[in-house]
Amino acid sequence: MFEQLDPRSPNPLYAQIANRLRVAIAAGELRPGAALPSVRHLAGELRVNPATVVQAYRDLETDGFVEIRQGAGTFVREVPPEGRARERARQATTLVRQMLGEAGRLGVSLAELQAAIAEQIGVGTA
Amino acid sequence: MTNAIEIRQLHYRAGRAFQLRQLDLNVPSGAIYGFLGPNGSGKTTTIRLVLGLLRPLAGRITVLGDAIPDAAPRVLARVGYVPEQPHLDPTLTVRETLRFQAAFYPHWDSPCAERLLRQFELDGRTAFGRLSKGQKGKLMTLLALAQRPDLLVLDEPTDGLDPVVRRDVLSALLDYVSQRRATVFISSHLVHELERICDWIGVMDNGRLITEVPMTRFKNGIKRLRVAGAPPSAAGAPFVILAREHVNGGAETWVVRDWEPEMAAYFATIGAALNDVIDLDLEEGFVELLRSFRGPSSSS
Amino acid sequence: MFRVMLYSQWKWTRLIVALGSVAAFALPIVSVQGAARADASPLQAGELLQAVQSWGTLYPVLAAALGLLVAIATWAPDHRGRHVHALSLPLPRWRYVLLRFGAGATLLAAPIVAVSAGALLATWSATIPAGLQGYPGALAIRFALAVLVAYAVFFAVSAGTARTAGIILGLIGSVILVQIIAGVANVDVDLLGKLQVAVLNWPGPLAIFTGRWMLIDV
Repeated sequence: MFEQLDPRSPNPLYAQIANRLRVAIAAGELRPGAALPSVRHLAGELRVNPATVVQAYRDLETDGFVEIRQGAGTFVREVPPEGRARERARQATTLVRQMLGEAGRLGVSLAELQAAIAEQIGVGTA
Repeated sequence: MTNAIEIRQLHYRAGRAFQLRQLDLNVPSGAIYGFLGPNGSGKTTTIRLVLGLLRPLAGRITVLGDAIPDAAPRVLARVGYVPEQPHLDPTLTVRETLRFQAAFYPHWDSPCAERLLRQFELDGRTAFGRLSKGQKGKLMTLLALAQRPDLLVLDEPTDGLDPVVRRDVLSALLDYVSQRRATVFISSHLVHELERICDWIGVMDNGRLITEVPMTRFKNGIKRLRVAGAPPSAAGAPFVILAREHVNGGAETWVVRDWEPEMAAYFATIGAALNDVIDLDLEEGFVELLRSFRGPSSSS
Repeated sequence: MFRVMLYSQWKWTRLIVALGSVAAFALPIVSVQGAARADASPLQAGELLQAVQSWGTLYPVLAAALGLLVAIATWAPDHRGRHVHALSLPLPRWRYVLLRFGAGATLLAAPIVAVSAGALLATWSATIPAGLQGYPGALAIRFALAVLVAYAVFFAVSAGTARTAGIILGLIGSVILVQIIAGVANVDVDLLGKLQVAVLNWPGPLAIFTGRWMLIDV
C-alpha cells in the first residue's frame, strides 16, 4: 500500500502516509471499523520514525477519518459520503496542481494540456 | 524535556592534525538523531568520547543525566552501543556471545534476544569469527537491543551491509523504539536511510558541528533558487546564501538555507526575478551545506 | 560475570593448560626414573640427586611458559578489538581486569594440581635411598608460586596498551643506557647488578625461579 512513500519529497512523510490512508478510507479500501496497523508495526515495516506514524494517525483523527482508542489501537471511522466526496475532490485538486506545475516547467501551454486531456479521456473511455 | 546526550564546549585532540573544537551537541530524549558528516569529520571520535572510551581535553559530556567519563560504568548499563567494527571474541559462538553479554547487563531480555535471533536468522552455534559481515552487523544490533537500553548509539551500523540486511536492522531498531521511548543517536553516511527515520540532524565537518536542527527544518529550509538579474552583492537577504552560481546570461542558481516561502518577496526589492524554487533532498542539501563551509564561493 | 569470563578464557587457553598439565604431571615422575628400578646404594643416591637436579631446571621454565602463554591468551581477544568491547561494558576497568586475572589464575590451578599429583606419585612410587627425603609438597607450592608470579608479571604487561609496553621497554632501555654511560664515564654505578640482586634474590619477586628445584634432597 505504501510503495509510493518518498522520503526525498518535500511533502513530509507523515503527510504522505496520512494521505495514502485517507485515500484508502475514502475509496472504501479500508472499511469502517477496520483496525489500522499498530504504530510499532507500521514504523518497522515502512522503516520510518514511529513519531511519523503517530503524527499521521493524529492527523487522520483530526480530519475525522479514524478514531484512536488508547490501548486498543486506531480504527477506521464511518466517513459520510460528503466526507468521501470532499476527499476525492481534494485528491483531484492535488493531481491537477501537480500537472499544471509540471506543464509550466516543461513549457507546455494550457491549450496544449487541455487538448491532451481530451484526447486521453477519449482513449480511456473508448 | 531533558537531553539524552549533552556536549558542551568539547575539546579533543588526537595527533597534530585532527581535533574537535568547541563542540556543542544536544540530543533530546526520545529523538532519533542522525549524525551526518564526511569521513574523517570526527563522528566516530565524538561517539567514542560520548561513551567514555576517550577522555576529552576540555568540556563537559552528560549522558542520560550522568557525567561522562566519571560515571561511565553506571551509564553504560543503559546504553546500547553498535560500533563501526565488530570487536567481539571470535572463538565464541553466537549463543555463547549472548550468554557473555547477558552476564553484564541487569536488564537483559532473553526472550527478546531469542526472538531477534530467529528474526535475523542467525544460527546460535556459529562462531562469531565465522559470521559474514552482514550477520555480524545483525548480531551487534541484537546485542544492543536485547540490553533494553534507554539510549542507542550506533556508529555506521549498516555500513557495508547489503540492502536486505539493512532493512532488517532498521526494522528491528524502529520496532524497539516504538515499544520503548528510547533515544537513538545514529551516525551514517547513508543519507537516504537517515532521511526516513531521523527527526533531528547534526552535521559534522572537520571537527566542528556545523548545523543541528530538526529534520523538517533542514529539508524544507535548503532550496535551490533560479534567479535572474540579481546584483553581485545581495544584501539584507532574510535567508542564508550558501552558494551562487552563474548559469548563462543573467541567470543564476542560488543555494540557500533557512528559506521560507514568504521570502520570495525579497527578490523584487533587489530588482531581481525569482523564477523557480527547487527542493533539495537530504543528500543534496547536505552536500551543498558542506560545499558552502569549505569552498571559497561561500558567503555565509 | 566471572563464570562467563572463565568460560571464554578457557576456550582460548584450554590447549595450553592441557599440555602444560600433562608436562607438569610428567616432569616429577620422569625426574625420578633412575630410582624406580635400582637398589638403594650410595652411588645410586648421587645419580638420583643428579637426575632430579637436572630435570629440576625445567620447572621454572615450565612455570614461566605457562604464566606467559596464559597471560597472552587472556588478553588476545581484547587486543584484537583494541579493548573497545571491554571499555564499553558497564563495569569499572579495575573490576574487569580483576575478573580476567582471576579467571586466568583459576585455569592455572590445573597444571599446579598436576604437578602436585605427579610429585606425590613420584615420591611414593620411587625407592628413595636412605638419607634422602622427598619434598613433593614444597615443590608443588614453589611451582604454584612461580606460575602465579610469572602469570602476574606477564598479565600486567599484556593488560596495558602498546604504549604501556613501550614505556616498560623504554625504562629498561634507559637503565641499560645509564649503565653504559656510567661505564664510559668510569662512574661506579652497577644499576643492573643491583637490580638483579633486588629482583632475583630473596625476598625479590623473581627469586622463586632461581636456585635448585629438588623433588628429592638430603
